[in-house]
Amino acid sequence: MVELWRTFAWDEIKQRYRRSVLGVSWIVVSFLMFVAGVSFFFSGFSGRELDSFIVYVALGYAAFIFITGNFIDGCQVFTSSHVWIKAMPLPYSVHVYRSLFRSFLIFALQMAVVVPIMMWMGWRPSFLSLLAVPALLVYVLNAVAVQYMLGLVSARFEDVGHLVTSITRLLIFVTPILWVREGLDGTRAFAADLNPLTHYVEIFRSPLLGEMPRTTSWLVVCILTLAVWGAATGFAAAFRRRLPYWL
Amino acid sequence: MSRILVQQLAVTYPIFNRARSSLDTQTAALDPGEDFGGIQRLVRDKHGYIKGVRALEDVSFEVNEGERIGLVGANGSGKTTLLQVLAGIYPPDNGCVLVDGRTTSLVNINLGMRSEATGNQNITLRGLASGRTRAEIEERRSEIAAFAGLGEFIDLPVETYSAGMRMRLNFAIATAFEPDILILDEWLSAGDAKFRKLASERMATFVGQAGILVLASHSQSLLLSNCTRGLWLHDGRIRMDAPMNEVLSAYEESGHKLSLTRQ
Repeated sequence: MVELWRTFAWDEIKQRYRRSVLGVSWIVVSFLMFVAGVSFFFSGFSGRELDSFIVYVALGYAAFIFITGNFIDGCQVFTSSHVWIKAMPLPYSVHVYRSLFRSFLIFALQMAVVVPIMMWMGWRPSFLSLLAVPALLVYVLNAVAVQYMLGLVSARFEDVGHLVTSITRLLIFVTPILWVREGLDGTRAFAADLNPLTHYVEIFRSPLLGEMPRTTSWLVVCILTLAVWGAATGFAAAFRRRLPYWL
Repeated sequence: MSRILVQQLAVTYPIFNRARSSLDTQTAALDPGEDFGGIQRLVRDKHGYIKGVRALEDVSFEVNEGERIGLVGANGSGKTTLLQVLAGIYPPDNGCVLVDGRTTSLVNINLGMRSEATGNQNITLRGLASGRTRAEIEERRSEIAAFAGLGEFIDLPVETYSAGMRMRLNFAIATAFEPDILILDEWLSAGDAKFRKLASERMATFVGQAGILVLASHSQSLLLSNCTRGLWLHDGRIRMDAPMNEVLSAYEESGHKLSLTRQ
């Protein structure tokens, strides 16, 4: 089964870029373009040095697209696999793993490019950086539940997909990716904290920047992870059997 | 040991676009859609909106090792739905379905293939999806390619194939990994004479290995040469369950026509 979703995911990535000259490297190119552009235009507002702001944006943005990519992919995880769901009795989670593995590959590719650039700019890993590893595990854990649940709901209600896309588009502005939360005054810093993504991004980015993530952030993330899994298990138990009829 | 047990199976397809029948519900009975049994099979809510189609109702039968079942019935009688339930794709609404054995189904030739991927890649994907290891797939690859007879097309994307080529590849993959239970829908009769002969031979060796075959078709010759027992579905219910030739003659007597394609 592991072999199956790995092959499915890899095949999908290759197909997507099959007819472009740069191929899979488009993932890296478009990511670098975003980071360079944002760092150039926004660094003046952040109060951080340019070098450290570039690292801040690169790490935050990579985490952000991995997380929100799971929302968008999640809405299509079953509808896009209907060719298989209606042909073979595979466990539906295979399609979730396939989708998740693909977005993780993209994330890994971006990190593989970002880390050498960071090293070249003087960044060095520390013991604190290791805290990013449990953060990644938590990302994956959340992504499985979120994709399964959104996949089920949007197979039945197509509107959910459109709603999620609209919200995701807004999230880039209200999450501290392009701006730094620490520089904000009381109310706005509080407002930023109301956004769960702030905490999800922070538990991964802070340790890599040599800062200890706040306990609040880890707490929020842990509670939300439990909530998401609870909801997803409930949804799966109630509606999984209806899925092929909805597609 | 392969075995199929179906008890009181019922399946209703939900419809979500809130369709309202354009026929007046009072007079619709006078003008039923030809053979689709419209009025009894549409499920309506209290406002008269159609919310589902009852595809199967109260279907019960048992199939034991080595039996070859031929499904007959008019369009819309529930044959394809029954095959998909047996294949484990649609969970039953009601009743129970027990299937013992490794099942392979070929119900829709456009499903179970990535049309952007090449024939060879699809062999890998389908093999993995039916739980085979890489080694087993590599072992069968050349045999599948030879049976499908696609030549160099095997390295081109499936979207460039003709319907017949897709069918050959699909059938070749499905039967290459020796399933215990093989479920086939009527599209098989769309193949040319040469392919039908090859397919029949392959099915014969397969059934010789004590597997179960369930085949839906409108072709008399295909049914008679491959099946021993017939199931006649009418409006989502079983009307007759008897030896194949008896079912076929009863079916024709009731005014249904079968095609007489020669092998």
